[in-house]
Amino acid sequence: MFEPPVQRLVDELARLPGIGRKSAQRLAFHLLNAEETDAVRLADAITSMRREVRLCTRCFNVTAEEECSICRDLRRDTSIVCVVERAQDIPVIEKTGEFSGRYHVLGGAISPIEGIGPDQLRARELLDRIDAENITEVIVAANPTLEGDATAMFLARMLKPLGVKVTRLASGLPVGGDLDYADEITLGRALSGRKEL
Amino acid sequence: MHLSWLELTEVRCYETLRFEPDPGVNVLVGSNGAGKTSILESVAYLGLLRSFRGTPDEAIVRSGEENAVIRGEFEIESGTVRVEVEIPRSGRRRVLVNGKRPTRNRDVMAQVPIVAFQPDDLDLVKRGPGLRRAYLDDLAAQLWPQAGAVQQDYDRAVRQRNTLLKQAGRGADGVTLDVWDERVATAGAAVYRHRMDVLEALDAAIGEAYRLVGERGALTWSYTTNWGGDPQGENVERLQGALLERRPRDMDQRVTSAGPHRDDPSLVVDGRPARTMASQGEQRTVALAMRVAAYRVLAARRSMQPILLLDDVFSELDATHTRGVMSLLDDGQVLVTSAREDEVPAIGRRWIADGRNIR
Repeated sequence: MFEPPVQRLVDELARLPGIGRKSAQRLAFHLLNAEETDAVRLADAITSMRREVRLCTRCFNVTAEEECSICRDLRRDTSIVCVVERAQDIPVIEKTGEFSGRYHVLGGAISPIEGIGPDQLRARELLDRIDAENITEVIVAANPTLEGDATAMFLARMLKPLGVKVTRLASGLPVGGDLDYADEITLGRALSGRKEL
Repeated sequence: MHLSWLELTEVRCYETLRFEPDPGVNVLVGSNGAGKTSILESVAYLGLLRSFRGTPDEAIVRSGEENAVIRGEFEIESGTVRVEVEIPRSGRRRVLVNGKRPTRNRDVMAQVPIVAFQPDDLDLVKRGPGLRRAYLDDLAAQLWPQAGAVQQDYDRAVRQRNTLLKQAGRGADGVTLDVWDERVATAGAAVYRHRMDVLEALDAAIGEAYRLVGERGALTWSYTTNWGGDPQGENVERLQGALLERRPRDMDQRVTSAGPHRDDPSLVVDGRPARTMASQGEQRTVALAMRVAAYRVLAARRSMQPILLLDDVFSELDATHTRGVMSLLDDGQVLVTSAREDEVPAIGRRWIADGRNIR
């Protein structure tokens, strides 16, 4: 146990994902020994992020405005939407430069064990966007897990009757990798999702 | 393949232990409670990722301690595989293979094939179908990495569907149920396929093993499903159809009533179900034949000898059966435990366990 003000910070830091007891202590003492302005800047960054950031009213990406910068971008193709589980998946896909449509953040994947059904996700909101935005294709970029697959299947069931093309990200071999090092599961999926040349 | 070293920290009766067995036969001798079985249990844990005693993980943690650690390194043809498991008294355990977390825990089973014989094996024959399903699934996961993965997917898909049924019962959303039916059917058909492949691999081996342990009858498998599984056919649609048909009942009972998790694999001796055979001795030889067959199938198909663990098996066996088991001990690594040294009919390195150490 440390003095109460230090201990309080250690406890708070330890609640963050990926931070254990030891790391929390190291961070707390780092902040204690650093310039005061550094610590204040960090505290300010946290509070202003919480104050200023909200969810895009269209796609539920994080934004400081009414709509996120992607939804406001007039050059984007509005007929195609990529569905992701979480907002932090968006920058990952953006970095590829291969996608020029808009996004939709579901907020998770269907998992009864965790109490998440379609009503806990923003599936209804996606459905509403289809007509309103004349969307013709939905790419489901849910994680390649059992729950991600179930979510993709659910969205396909929901959207196909509307005449929307629903696709799923392919899963397979890492580029530049060696076939020898691929695990059997990945290789199996790569085989079943093979493409004709 | 062999285990080159094993390190235990706060496991069962051991504070710390380092054990470097010979690549051949190792005989562990000591009185009851001297920690012989704990060593075998730990080796098996590295290959199966659960206790072969069927006890919950927290039972492995030494009393009064928070964490148990089992580490070991296996020498295989293509190099070494180091498996490390940290088991907390409560919370999630951590598994590392060569310092990295495996994509799926059951992947480990295919890396280091281990076959364990133990006194409780009698339950394989005597008790319900659950243990026999686990026997087939374990063997499939040891033979084909993909099998372990679909088993994990199947278990989780069934659990998800059951949770949905428990939460909503008759009110469960039809489309969401459709989605889980599809996941359960896809993974379930794959689990079933792997079991059929295992049965095919075992077909000749089990009869041969039965003769090897000194019996004359014909030992065969029978396998029944409650959803119309067909070894020759496509089963995804069959299982999906059965789930749909049973949906009203499943919604009432709030549980998934059809699928490979309810299948019934059983053993048949000369046309009679082994489960109802009169003599416990006969049942014991059937269980023995099951383990011998598993060992031989693994050795033949994986082109490496599995590690053989024999936990106190000789006290229960007569000379003929003992010879059957001994015929397995060609050149693979074997760890044998016994309370009495003279009981073990094998030549090998002798180790004395005293509850704190082994030498």
